[in-house]
Amino acid sequence: MSEQAMLDIRNYSKTYGEGKKAADNVSLSVMGGDIYGFIGHNGAGKSTTIRAVVGVLDFTEGEIYIDGHSVKDDPLACKRITAYIPDNPDLYENLTGIQYLNFIADVFGISAQEREERIRKYAETFEITDALGDLIGSYSHGMKQKVAIISALIHNPRLLVLDEPFVGLDPKAAFTLKEIMHEMCAKGAAVFFSTHVLDVAEKLCNKVAIIKQGRILFSGTMEEFTEGHSLEEAFLEADNGE
Amino acid sequence: MENEILLLKTLLLSTSQRNIYKYCRDKKKRSKIVGNMVGTAVLYLLLMGYCVLTCVGYGLIGIIRTVPVMCALTISVLAFMFTFIKTNGYLFNFKEYDMLMALPFESKSVAGSRFLYMYIKSLPWYLSIAVAMLIGYGIYASPAWFVYPLWLILSLLLPLIPMLGAAFLGFLIARISSGFRKTNIIQTVLTITLAILAFFLRFIISALFQNNQVEYTLETISGMMDSAAAKYPPAGWFADAVTKHSLSSALLLAGVSVLLFTVVFRIVGRSYRTINSALRSRAASRNYRMSSLKKHSVLNAIAFKEFKRMTGSPVYMTNGGLGMILAALLGVITLILGFDRITAIVTSGAMTDSSILQPAIPFIIHLFIGMEATTACSPSLEGKNYWIVQSLPIDRKTLYRGKMLFNMYLAVPFMLFATLCMCVSAKVPVLNTVLYLILGCALCAFSTAWGCVCGVKHMRLDWENEIEVVKQGTAVTVYLLPNMFAVMILVFLMVILGLRMSHQLLALIMILAASVLAALSYLKVMALARRDV
Repeated sequence: MSEQAMLDIRNYSKTYGEGKKAADNVSLSVMGGDIYGFIGHNGAGKSTTIRAVVGVLDFTEGEIYIDGHSVKDDPLACKRITAYIPDNPDLYENLTGIQYLNFIADVFGISAQEREERIRKYAETFEITDALGDLIGSYSHGMKQKVAIISALIHNPRLLVLDEPFVGLDPKAAFTLKEIMHEMCAKGAAVFFSTHVLDVAEKLCNKVAIIKQGRILFSGTMEEFTEGHSLEEAFLEADNGE
Repeated sequence: MENEILLLKTLLLSTSQRNIYKYCRDKKKRSKIVGNMVGTAVLYLLLMGYCVLTCVGYGLIGIIRTVPVMCALTISVLAFMFTFIKTNGYLFNFKEYDMLMALPFESKSVAGSRFLYMYIKSLPWYLSIAVAMLIGYGIYASPAWFVYPLWLILSLLLPLIPMLGAAFLGFLIARISSGFRKTNIIQTVLTITLAILAFFLRFIISALFQNNQVEYTLETISGMMDSAAAKYPPAGWFADAVTKHSLSSALLLAGVSVLLFTVVFRIVGRSYRTINSALRSRAASRNYRMSSLKKHSVLNAIAFKEFKRMTGSPVYMTNGGLGMILAALLGVITLILGFDRITAIVTSGAMTDSSILQPAIPFIIHLFIGMEATTACSPSLEGKNYWIVQSLPIDRKTLYRGKMLFNMYLAVPFMLFATLCMCVSAKVPVLNTVLYLILGCALCAFSTAWGCVCGVKHMRLDWENEIEVVKQGTAVTVYLLPNMFAVMILVFLMVILGLRMSHQLLALIMILAASVLAALSYLKVMALARRDV
């Protein structure tokens, strides 16, 4: 019996008003333990796909399954095991960091003790504890990003979906995030993220998908894609060859 | 001035529904825009119809000559009130401030363009009143032909002076609050205090006149209008221009408006950057220590989020909280002065037996409490943050229930307090008081759920300034106007029915009716939520 994919996108297409396909027949599978990079130019369809995966964007064509649950038919079951961090996290600016994290913990029904332990752990890891009592509106972009990451980790998600997660993070926080991704995958969870930073993707991901003008050019293991070249070379070759 | 015009043009374009309609290919969105336009046109027609009918009434009782002053005063009062409430969000602390101030514009140009934007956006309302009253005046006064264009031209100028006055007051409030650490709270308190003063101004003036034995002069509307024109010169200038064909009055109105605009924005421009810097900066103490955290239900967590959203925005707090505070104040004042005296002041002594008003108490309070339900604007206020609730495992039903719960937390205590104060003051029997309290709660439930229906149905997330949602949103308009008129009618209905049937029975019927309407509205919200997740 084959292993259940943590994220399974099947023939997903998204058409906007004027008939332009932002995502065209996208299919890929992310298994438990995968750190899956999603690479493409600006406007290639990465965010459109990611937003559909996490249930923020409606779609009519294709199917998306998270741990066997359909995003269309059973979105709440999907969201309970997923965490999403957008590229530019617009958080509730009038809440303090701790109020926001507490709100997310309430939504996921996490016990008081557990939430305290997790928030304490991640806040210390990201060195943001002393700022948690301040309004999010007073945070820098990087600090907001850190709060968004902590809020995503607070319920131990089985699928972590990130859109350009390393933008705005300081080097130490970026390193910490990569460590956390590895830890999660070691426990059987999966990470699916978009990035423009090919060096990071090459070192971090075991699998990769290349998207161009809404269509998947390649999806598979990093080794299959690079075939001994650097990811940058392989990406440019695939991009030019298309 | 060129810069102001350029900024104004861009601002108008960026918020223009016509522009969205022109370039948007999404049929659903386009039809929604058309629907909104039709709805707004209906509201304009209703307002115009009301104004024409008022003039017809004046014409029939032979006081048509007071219409120009009445037109000027109506526009001026509305312009002052609406601008005062909106100034904070439009002139200061707006989203694109950084982007605009980084461009080579003078501060006064940025502030001036924001003011002109506010003026142009509200102008159609004032022009509707002016045109409608001109029609009524034209029918009964048969003025010379040139009065028609003159009236229309001067109507364009009429809102400017009160708007500038209100904007300057808003500026002073912002200037004072910017010196405090809790700028939002100070700004909201000052704004609400001044709004309440403005609200009660009519009664304060009336009381002053009564003390000075000038009540006799005010007994006739005609006398009142002459007196008002003398106290507010722009109204007099307008009336003189159109009735006495006084060119100097017309020029005075135009000249003072332009001069005031220049002076106000020269002053505002000087400290514009300082005020905005203070309002936009958030104090950070960086001294948080982890302590024990409490677990809440999802509904309470959403309600708390709504509470913080409200307290974080002076515009939202002022609009959402003004009615509650007015209701509580009315309750306290009634308790102090007595129900009979308040009734005499409000009705100018026309009602001799105040006990007939008793069955209407919950509706009178609801006129204030229901002024704005937070549920009408809170779905749209999610704005760019909408991704958070969308990506969380909360279905829309739960989200809307949380929003409704917050409005109930906010409205019910004020409703109960004000109703209780009035009932005690009016010496309402205990059983009736209990019934009125229940009726008050049922009315809160209805306005909460009905507000949510409007909020969800007309949800708009792509706003640039929260004023567009809180004050001018379709959801708020669709909620506010029918609710206000329906409650006004119900106040009269309760008084009339109270004369013919038992007050207790009447209250029970109304509790039932309000509960049914609340339940239906709640079910509608749930049905709207079911459409998507």
